[in-house]
Amino acid sequence: MAAVADPDEDLVRRVGQGDPAAIQAMVARKLPRMMALAQRMLGDAVEAEDVAQEAMMRAWKQAPRWTPGRAKFDTWLHRVALNLCYDRMRRRREVLMEVTPDRPDPGPAPDRGLLAAELGARVDGALKALPERQREAIVLCHYQELGNIEAAGLMGVSVEALESLLGRGRRALRAALADLAPGASPDAIGGRG
Amino acid sequence: MNADRMRDLAEVWGGDLRRWPETERRAAEAFSRSAPEAAERALFAARQLDAALDAAPRPAVSAALRDRVIASAAAAGLRARTVWPGLRKLLWVGGAGWAAAACAGVVFGQVLTSDFERQVQLDVVLEQASVGGLDDTAVLG
Repeated sequence: MAAVADPDEDLVRRVGQGDPAAIQAMVARKLPRMMALAQRMLGDAVEAEDVAQEAMMRAWKQAPRWTPGRAKFDTWLHRVALNLCYDRMRRRREVLMEVTPDRPDPGPAPDRGLLAAELGARVDGALKALPERQREAIVLCHYQELGNIEAAGLMGVSVEALESLLGRGRRALRAALADLAPGASPDAIGGRG
Repeated sequence: MNADRMRDLAEVWGGDLRRWPETERRAAEAFSRSAPEAAERALFAARQLDAALDAAPRPAVSAALRDRVIASAAAAGLRARTVWPGLRKLLWVGGAGWAAAACAGVVFGQVLTSDFERQVQLDVVLEQASVGGLDDTAVLG
């Protein structure tokens, strides 16, 4: 198997040696990514902080014994954080089994102008309302900017299945946010235009 | 690649060709070069959705979380290590040895100096006594 080129290789090696500057650089490079991943997957800032902190703790333990060339460290870290998110989502499902799930706020009327914060909240709400696997596909490909093969590997699906999840997710978002575009026709955002 | 195919792919992968699968990206880039206006139209709607997605708030990392994570590195056993810890010990012991030798030299020097001074003082006294004796002889005859 060909060695995997990893942009984090040198940084991981120095972290493994306990280099304080490398530890700070790793935090600057990875903590925001883990926080973003967890918050978009879980939709809860407090839980996302717990996940991000635990993922970084596992990164510290892994760094001294990391073998370069076998995988990207960033992909491994995403795997760790995603598993932590899955655990929490599973626990939530168990707790909320009998409770009717919240429906997202349908948002303001189509003719009302939106401030940036309101727009952000609408998009956030639409993302949260997506089925988990569709949301995961969009989070990994759009927000985390992972490649299609990498994202499919992390989700344990084929690239074709990822493509299907992404397509359905984006169509659902387009429908949920249709009123935001000028003219507010159902195809106004992301549709055939 | 044509405009319809490009639009279909954009609905899945978004309006930024850099996010597309490599195999499709090359064909899309070639189409964009050959028919830029058609390509822009095909990507427009997907780019609107991308822009909406980017309007979602970006989760922030608090300073407290950052500090906790940095502190957790030490808790996980990550500490700066020297390459040859034995060498540092050896150098320290060597340095201490040199310092002790220097102190001993100073003490020895002081003792030697004071002994020497005492001897000189004694010689002066004896010399003065001898000179005094000579004077007495000379005076007394």
